[in-house]
Amino acid sequence: MKMAQGSGMLITYALGSCIGICLYDQRIKLASLIHIMLPLNMEPGRKNTMKYADTGIRETLKLMESKGASRSRITAKIAGGAKMFEISGGNLGNIGQRNIESVRMHLKREGIQLLKEDVGGSVARTLLFDPATGMACVRSYGRPEMIF
Amino acid sequence: MTIKSYDELSSLELDTLKEIGSIGTGNAATSLSALIGKPVRIQQPEVRIMEYNEAIEWIGGPEPITAGVLVGMSGQLSGIMLSVQQLDFVNLVLESMMERTIKDYMELGEIERSALTEVGNIMISTFINALSGLADLDIKLTVPAFTVDMQGAIMAVPMAEYGGQSNYIMTIGGNFICNGKEIPCRLLLSPDIRSLNFLLRKLGVNSGE
Repeated sequence: MKMAQGSGMLITYALGSCIGICLYDQRIKLASLIHIMLPLNMEPGRKNTMKYADTGIRETLKLMESKGASRSRITAKIAGGAKMFEISGGNLGNIGQRNIESVRMHLKREGIQLLKEDVGGSVARTLLFDPATGMACVRSYGRPEMIF
Repeated sequence: MTIKSYDELSSLELDTLKEIGSIGTGNAATSLSALIGKPVRIQQPEVRIMEYNEAIEWIGGPEPITAGVLVGMSGQLSGIMLSVQQLDFVNLVLESMMERTIKDYMELGEIERSALTEVGNIMISTFINALSGLADLDIKLTVPAFTVDMQGAIMAVPMAEYGGQSNYIMTIGGNFICNGKEIPCRLLLSPDIRSLNFLLRKLGVNSGE
């Protein structure tokens, strides 16, 4: 998880089935970028909180609040959750979709408004987030850059 | 001792996996040589257990575009095997089989993609055949899947599938030498932890207690 206030571009590279979650408090320009890999933290002791959608979102919100952000002002933009390989048979490769559903559900549960998303499909994404403006940018291979 | 994570492997167990990597890669080189009709030699491959971020740096950073062939394993061993095909490798195959080379993956057409998928599939299958013969295991393989995208996202696939178990990944890197040129060969073998223990037990280096 990376955090910045006012300036300094946040970036996470090559999101495949993983999801990048930008959390932002517009008023104080505090931004966080989480790179989660899996939908639910089922580790004993719940270490590695930032690897999972549920604990990653919860812990980051706590940290942002401790830095003066207000839960009611924080909004989210997300990208990722692709299916990198089309594999016939079995449930291999569904992890992206499960990540998307878990991230949406946990944002909702925490009362965070999801403003924009660029999820699913079969392309990897590099996600940038600008704490100065609250704008996100997605770079992919073979697709024009997307700003949202 | 039954291990819970790759970083708990003993040096004897690691050596055993390295030996499997060598034998498997040797077999993969032989099949590649038969496919492209040229002699292919290998350098001693390097088998490493790395943390995900370390593995990404090892392969050259997250964003460069690469081709990947993925085969799923099931039966007595379950997991994933990946062949990462960087541009040098792609051009070796295309030049030998179709007398053309590319500068960008965008130039790959249907036939080229199909050829690369098959080459990856055959290399992986030969590798797994050698492994299953060595450990006397019955391993089933899925049909191969092919993609061209950022290598960080391709490498993350086995991590995401088995990421709940470990932050480590097993990489097998060696150089093929063909026409006097060194061509990197990048294979990733990711059995799930249960299968890894079973494999080590079958090979007699893990007592299972």
